[in-house]
Amino acid sequence: MTSVRPKLKPDVPKAITAWHTASGEVVWMTPKGDWTSNPDALGVFTGEVAEARLADARAAEGEVTDPYFMEVSETGEIRGRETLRETIRAQGPTTHPEFAKGEAL
Amino acid sequence: MYRYDEFDAQIVHDRVKQFRGQVARRLSGELKEDEFKPLRLQNGVYLQLHAYMLRVAIPYGQLSPRQLRRLAHVAREYDRGYGHFTTRQNIQFNWVALKDIPDVLETLAEVEMHAIQTSGNCIRNVTSDHFAGATADEVMDPRPWCEIIRQWSTFHPEFAYLPRKFKIAVTAAEHDRAAIRVHDIGLHIRRRGEAVGFEVHVGGGQGRTPHIAAKVHDFVPEAEILDYLEAIMRVYNRFGRRDNKYKARIKILVSETGAEEFKRLVDEEFAAQRPDEKVELPRAEIDRIHAYFAPPPLSGRPARSEVFERAKAADAAFASWAEVNLYPHKQSGHACVTVSLKPVGGIAGDATDTQMETVADLAERFGHGDIRVTHAQNLVMPHVALDDMYEVYRALEAAGLASANESLITDMIVCPGLDYCNLANARSIPVGQAIQREFASVEDQRDIGQLHLNISGCINACGHHHVGHIGVLGVDRKGEEYYQITFGGRADEKAAIGEIAGPALSAEDVPPALKRVVNRYRELRTDPSERFIDVYARTGLEPFKEALYAADQER
Ligand code: SF4
Repeated sequence: MTSVRPKLKPDVPKAITAWHTASGEVVWMTPKGDWTSNPDALGVFTGEVAEARLADARAAEGEVTDPYFMEVSETGEIRGRETLRETIRAQGPTTHPEFAKGEAL
Repeated sequence: MYRYDEFDAQIVHDRVKQFRGQVARRLSGELKEDEFKPLRLQNGVYLQLHAYMLRVAIPYGQLSPRQLRRLAHVAREYDRGYGHFTTRQNIQFNWVALKDIPDVLETLAEVEMHAIQTSGNCIRNVTSDHFAGATADEVMDPRPWCEIIRQWSTFHPEFAYLPRKFKIAVTAAEHDRAAIRVHDIGLHIRRRGEAVGFEVHVGGGQGRTPHIAAKVHDFVPEAEILDYLEAIMRVYNRFGRRDNKYKARIKILVSETGAEEFKRLVDEEFAAQRPDEKVELPRAEIDRIHAYFAPPPLSGRPARSEVFERAKAADAAFASWAEVNLYPHKQSGHACVTVSLKPVGGIAGDATDTQMETVADLAERFGHGDIRVTHAQNLVMPHVALDDMYEVYRALEAAGLASANESLITDMIVCPGLDYCNLANARSIPVGQAIQREFASVEDQRDIGQLHLNISGCINACGHHHVGHIGVLGVDRKGEEYYQITFGGRADEKAAIGEIAGPALSAEDVPPALKRVVNRYRELRTDPSERFIDVYARTGLEPFKEALYAADQER
């Protein structure tokens, strides 16, 4: 929310992530444009498609809160400057392995 | 302890009802996050890395067993079975769902608790000495004044939109356990003959630009303290910077204006208050509030307890715990018990639902129903008879709450860091655990003696690293976690900001480097009673800096 989010160039592959409003759970946009709490199912977007998807998500901000871009590889692995933060968001606190969610990225 | 009157109860219930409506409108999409955010923050609801976080106020850190049981209930039913006690003597729940928060607040309201003013640019929870009312070194119990200030500052319309958040701490003891000099306002209650008054410190704080507060008054008589506080707040409200959030705290105003000029402005404002503006604090009202904090009926007991002495002789672990975690009580035959929330390898300040219930039960059976949260993230039972101590210890031990480490190196203050916090640069908890493991031996810790080690995951300094005897600050170096070390900070009556030793270290280098530092301290001390911080005062940074980076020279 208040953390610095790096600006990503249009051709950098990205995922769209947010929080599920009612539960607060971390979610990612799927390739189809709905939301999943499984990081293995996230969609990878680039260029204008990515911008359009993020704009849609922001306009429809009800089900989810504060959607933003995060950097991923073409196959959806987290990478870039915020790798550690986004990995912790995806997997849960490193201090509570019992709260881990989804498959390890 | 203070009990709500009908107005308090009404206000809190109305607030829950109002927030329930706001949450419903957010969930229906009627409110967007930008509109909802200020509303949720006013109710202590943050959005963190993984989920919403609810911060619940614990005024001046005092809890009844009933309240602690209710917090345990919230942890079990709405969270993941635990809560996190913070350096502001509050509790945070890390996993509550937004849809459930109105119910959580309602259940808390039933036990006179709420989340009001735990966030936002207002006067936050008033904090105090966790041994208040129990130690011999205080001139009076500071809690009645904390309560009076709490009532004055709650929903004070003039101070709801300050330039930035505002924290007040109060102590009445010579030894400052409330860190008053690193608060926006720190109050030290003093007596002059029969008269009670306040020594006033303003402009302390940590974060990006740490400052030790400046003393602006030696003795404000008790009848005038709220007017004097109001004068300070007005000067801040008027001249505090709103254009730059990094310069908006009162510490910047005091340091940029100069303490003398700031004091002059406050005095001028105080003198300009019209008689009808003055907060009337009738003696009867002061007395009424004081009556809520009447000392518990502790029966006279001999200073030496045979049961206690026999148990110590028979159980070395108990003897060790008793030596470290008990603090003298003003009433003979009693002690203040620190319940450590810092087991080696655990998470500082975390307590499970069942641990909370254990402490609630023990406080009820043996502690006159009084529980405190400390700013060092532990719990305290301030009034326990020595005769009962072994039984208390055994129950704490069975619950994993009997680490014998109060004020020792493993009793560290640790902020949530990048495992939870949206603002973090690096993780705090794992590096803290690694340091704990390096110093896990109880004998070793006791030999090292008092050593406050504080860790923050970013420069906001929630983990009080600036005032740790050793401070550890997480920094982000191109996406990698590094830790900057400071030495010589302290939060007590000789408050000081730690000095930065030099370049930051990688996570794995921190524990061995600190081991070298501690070993250097042991070589330097004249005898074991000379604490780390005393040696630092005598020698300065150099020997510790040298020890910290000694491995680099070996390479
Ligand atoms: S110090 Fe920084 S990382 Fe730690 S809790 Fe505060 S804001 Fe978060």
